[in-house]
Amino acid sequence: MKTKLSLLFSLLLISAFVLAACGGGATETPAMEEPAPAPTEKPAEPAPEPTAAPVEPAGTLRIWADDTRAPILQDLADDVLAAYNLELVVELKSSIRDDFQVAAPLGEGPDIIFGVPHDQAGAMVANGLLAEIDLGDKKADFSPVALDACTIDGKLYCMPYATENIGFFYNTDLVPTPPTTWDEVLTIGRALKAEGKVDYVMAVVGDATYDMYPIYSSLGGYIFGKDANGNWNAQDLGIDSPGMVAGVQWVADGVAAGDFPADWDWANNHALFENGKTPFIMAGPWALSRIRESKVPYAVTNFPSNGFPLAGTQGIYVNVQSENLLLAQAFLTEYVATEETMYKLYEVGQRPPAYLPALAKVEDVDLKAMAEAGKNAVMMPSIPEMGSVWGSWKDAVALGARDAKLDVPTAMKEGADKIRALIANPLTGMINVPGSYQAQAGCPGDWQPECKVTAMTKGDDGLYRSGPFTIKAGDYEFKIALDGSWTTNYGSDGKQDGPNYKVTLTADGTIEFVYDPATKLVTATVK
Amino acid sequence: MSQAISGRRKQTGMTEEKPLSKLIRIIFLVLFDAAAVWFIQNAFAKGFDQLVIVFGIIAVMFNLIYLLPQAYPFRWMAFGLGFLILFTVYPIVFTIYVAFTNYGDGHLLTKEQALPIIEKQTFLPEAGKSYSWTAFRTEAGDYALWLINPDGETFLAKPGEELQPAKPGDPGIGEADNKGIPATIEGYKRLNPLLAATDKNLINIKFGIEGGTTVQVRSPSEAAELQIRFKYDEATDSVVDQSNGDIYENKLGTFTTKDGKTIKPGFRTVVGIKNFKDFVTSPALRGPLVQIVTWNFIFPTGTVLLQFSLGLAIAIMFNDPDFPLKKLIRSFLIIPYTVPALISIIMWRGMLNSEFGVINHFLREWIGWAPRWTTEPFWAKSALLLVQMWLGYPYFFLVCSGALQSIPSDIYEAVTIDGATSWQKFRFITLPLLLIAVGPLLIASYVTNFNNFGVIYLFIGGGPAIAEASTNAGHTDLLISYVYKLAFESGGRGVQYGLASAISIGVFIIVGAITLFQYRFTNMWEEVSENV
Amino acid sequence: MSSISQTYQTLRTSQKFQKRFSIGVRLVIALLLIFFSIFPVLWIISASFNSTQSLSTQSLIPPKPSLINYQRLFGKDPNYKFGDLIYEKWIFNSIKVSGISTILSLFITTMAAYAFSRMRFKGRITILKGILLINVFPTLLALVAVYVLVFQFGEIIPAIGLNTHAGLILVYLGGSMGLNIWLLKGFLDTIPRDIDESGMVDGASHFQIFWNLILPLLRPILVVIGVISFIGTYGDFVLARILLNDVNKYTLMVGLQIFTAGQFDQKWGVFAAGALLGALPIIIIYYVLQDQIVGGLTTGAVKG
Repeated sequence: MKTKLSLLFSLLLISAFVLAACGGGATETPAMEEPAPAPTEKPAEPAPEPTAAPVEPAGTLRIWADDTRAPILQDLADDVLAAYNLELVVELKSSIRDDFQVAAPLGEGPDIIFGVPHDQAGAMVANGLLAEIDLGDKKADFSPVALDACTIDGKLYCMPYATENIGFFYNTDLVPTPPTTWDEVLTIGRALKAEGKVDYVMAVVGDATYDMYPIYSSLGGYIFGKDANGNWNAQDLGIDSPGMVAGVQWVADGVAAGDFPADWDWANNHALFENGKTPFIMAGPWALSRIRESKVPYAVTNFPSNGFPLAGTQGIYVNVQSENLLLAQAFLTEYVATEETMYKLYEVGQRPPAYLPALAKVEDVDLKAMAEAGKNAVMMPSIPEMGSVWGSWKDAVALGARDAKLDVPTAMKEGADKIRALIANPLTGMINVPGSYQAQAGCPGDWQPECKVTAMTKGDDGLYRSGPFTIKAGDYEFKIALDGSWTTNYGSDGKQDGPNYKVTLTADGTIEFVYDPATKLVTATVK
Repeated sequence: MSQAISGRRKQTGMTEEKPLSKLIRIIFLVLFDAAAVWFIQNAFAKGFDQLVIVFGIIAVMFNLIYLLPQAYPFRWMAFGLGFLILFTVYPIVFTIYVAFTNYGDGHLLTKEQALPIIEKQTFLPEAGKSYSWTAFRTEAGDYALWLINPDGETFLAKPGEELQPAKPGDPGIGEADNKGIPATIEGYKRLNPLLAATDKNLINIKFGIEGGTTVQVRSPSEAAELQIRFKYDEATDSVVDQSNGDIYENKLGTFTTKDGKTIKPGFRTVVGIKNFKDFVTSPALRGPLVQIVTWNFIFPTGTVLLQFSLGLAIAIMFNDPDFPLKKLIRSFLIIPYTVPALISIIMWRGMLNSEFGVINHFLREWIGWAPRWTTEPFWAKSALLLVQMWLGYPYFFLVCSGALQSIPSDIYEAVTIDGATSWQKFRFITLPLLLIAVGPLLIASYVTNFNNFGVIYLFIGGGPAIAEASTNAGHTDLLISYVYKLAFESGGRGVQYGLASAISIGVFIIVGAITLFQYRFTNMWEEVSENV
Repeated sequence: MSSISQTYQTLRTSQKFQKRFSIGVRLVIALLLIFFSIFPVLWIISASFNSTQSLSTQSLIPPKPSLINYQRLFGKDPNYKFGDLIYEKWIFNSIKVSGISTILSLFITTMAAYAFSRMRFKGRITILKGILLINVFPTLLALVAVYVLVFQFGEIIPAIGLNTHAGLILVYLGGSMGLNIWLLKGFLDTIPRDIDESGMVDGASHFQIFWNLILPLLRPILVVIGVISFIGTYGDFVLARILLNDVNKYTLMVGLQIFTAGQFDQKWGVFAAGALLGALPIIIIYYVLQDQIVGGLTTGAVKG
């Protein structure tokens, strides 16, 4: 027995090492002997050489892509190698963004990442992981909306390759003419349900946030408002806006009446539509292949009651730490941004190309209908505050509409409050005069827009005042800053990021400020 | 291989160590030290400071263990300890370190990584010109650029030579193609932009006279008279913007001007106890913390009790040699453990779906009522425990089956003669003896489940949501998934490793205290086992 | 005389009856338990033959059963290209990585547990408790730390760096001084000291006692721990995902995740098929070792 067992152990150990050696791993000495690999050790197998190329390729690009895009890039690799002697190493990743955020800071990231939605790019830019992209004269060939989505802080960080939004699907067997209002949706669906032809009036997909947005938008609901310059305004949150509440209420009433399923699982609800158990669903291009495979008769049309969806842009990004920055960019502009490649990408991904020449070639009826349904679509806000919205929005809709734990207005109000607590700025509304005098006025330091000591107060005449502060003789500079931060600040010309005001005190004295919100100018009185 | 083992065998004899064994030990240690020194040297050369420290500690530990006679018992576990330090202790130390930094979105890079990126940024001076370019190359690898400025004027640029206005058809220059670019230049070969870009050095070549205006390739479509935008001054730890003279000072890992302009990216830096302060004032503490902590104790307790009792029951039930088909039955019962948990959990989620799931389908048909597994807190918790039981009982079944073998059968024979009932046998012999072996595992399992993020996350993501809570908490959220939600999902400020680490440490203090409390029970086992 | 034998007879039959009854009851319980255990698995099987990619709306017997998911898994469906995904290779990789790390970690664990059980030294309890305490730490960030570590290894010795199986195995070995030590130590504690002492008397060294006397007795529990740690490593989908880049080097769980990754187009059917086939090696291993795990009773593993 003893000998048998030790024999078994030795056998196992030996086979373990044989396996390790043949698998190209380290030829390790047994762990019980030595944990640190010996210095003389060499990798059992050198990095795989491209055997297909007769000569050393002039350059190599590492690309991360998902399972849809990776095969097509792999197919392109042979062409690229033949035409430009350029080797593409395509690596298939299941969570590109997360893994990129870990690998890239160490310089281990790929040169190019493929297929990350635009609303996830903001954080990567803030982390300094992405390179600016110059599309050159190809820029005109891209959809302006998509380019806009790829632009962060005024700089282009991705080459858009597809835009996507949901469309309104209906079962053409059950519904000969598509409904034009949400009420019609209910009437048609209820009639079918009464006849026993369907189980539900309409499928409800996902969290009923993004996927039900057309209902909310048709009633005037929104996520973030925009400021005068057309930028997203994080202070104007629309999760508890009347339109949003009315839309969620509509869903809640439907669930309560049994018109909508009380489970919103994505796959299950698509299956409902595919099996003819519900005549309507709002779905995206990603669902087209499975809907077609199910052979259900369907068509895509505009949303009832002029509802419009949220839109997203899929982009291709370049790693800023790549050793092949120029090559990666050239590869994108010279090779990927061509009608042929973009059309191939479209064929596998089934997303409308953002590259206009390729888009012109698309003849798919459904995608065209979807594009039509999305022609008024809003790009998903890519401001970082959006990250705080999803979770609470989802919970609020679930509590109010699906589970009926709270009445809808309360649920939405609570949800919106949670979001506000996360993004709100406690100093909102503060008007301050940060400058080089502040330390003497009692602030912890100079140039502090958040210092309460120098904050202005509003007078009855609509003007804001602060001071007098006692300061020593000398030259001083200051500016106007709003909301306790530098985000909004006005210089001596009354403009954002304008030059500093300058003032000189010839002797020790006091200084007082008066600010006119209409002109955005300040007057300083020195005594 | 066999030599190694036999050498080892002699070397570890404690009582009187044979010379050969001693020799082997010394040789091993010398080899190890050589390897370690080489490794540490390399790590140091590459600037992996933490690795140098960690490996240094391990190397010193090894030397002590294999040199000091009184450290003899540790020779049995030296390698285990080495791995423990590397892959378990080090990540914990790292977490603690991160808790005192601003590591996270916006501050992902180290300063050494961020500076080159900042210093790489260029700007086009007001008088600077920008061109589109086409590269030409000689056999020897020298480059020339054909430049076209926005007005359509064309130039030929070579390194070290003044920019020359040139036209297609000039001497030595071929005829233009349809884009106005000459097809040939004497001595040079025209390059496709993509081929030109394969040369990593191209962007570094300065075309024109050094010191005068030089043109550099900036992107596939642009070459320009670029200048470096930011210059870092080490003495004042600040960055100067060459384009307008702005001074950016290092403010907690971000170069910031006095009036609040910043340069991206920021970098990692120590921020003191800021994260802990944020934690104390964070919404985490205002949320339904008591509720979550309570559930966090119920969940692992329930899980362990259910898994263990079912596993043990099965092990005992089919430990009977006379039982028919027991091999087959056992094989079936082990199946839940063999299927990857990733799919089992998702499968259960599907089966327990309130609306469409098969379980509710049958329940509705048979008794006309079905619980709402995913939306009612009570049922969601029950469902989770049910799934946990399914996932884990085969583990305890395996462990108990193994452990039952260690109970000498003659003990049973003896008490059977004394007329003990089966219950008495179980209660007074099987259970206590089993607990010696399995008891620590119960604690271990409890502890693992205390932080069982995977199940919670895959099943229903902590849901259903708690109504009237001030944070996004769910009824089945554990502390760890709650922390995850707060730090990674709902932060308007993106992923904050620093804050997450600070919260993790907070959670650890709670769990660690419980574990220490439970040592009282392990001490009990310790005593029991001493007596065997 | 006859009445006594009759009573004895009835007693015997009643005992026999009792035994039969108890076996009958246990059989019924067994059936229920088997139903509980395999029902979800049947469901996975059904999903793997179902062409609708949903996990709840299917029925136990798929309406249109097809092999399409299996064909897709092995890249035999021309309309459904995943590129060159090599499912067989993933399984091989998983078995290789899990097998090697299980065997090596068994060595580390067993030797350490022996020292903890049989020797008395300063810091013994502290280390044991420390191991437990360390494992309680919520390592949200461990992934980042381990990644950096393996990356730095790779910069010095490429063979154990990122995207190598050797590097992954080393990381898995980090868990070998984990909770299994407690299990093994507990088991060792139940083995009477007399055995060691008899060895000592014969002048055997610690290692000889360990190797020749103790190790054979540990066989059932070693097999159990081996199977447990094999399954644990085999099922890991977090570390492997972050450390491996090359599809050819993926382990099974990393590869399977590709099918669930799409936020909107999870291929549940293919995933189910892959997971099922992936479970086969574990089932086979268990089946082969079953006797080792629970059959040791009659061989009398432990004699006082």
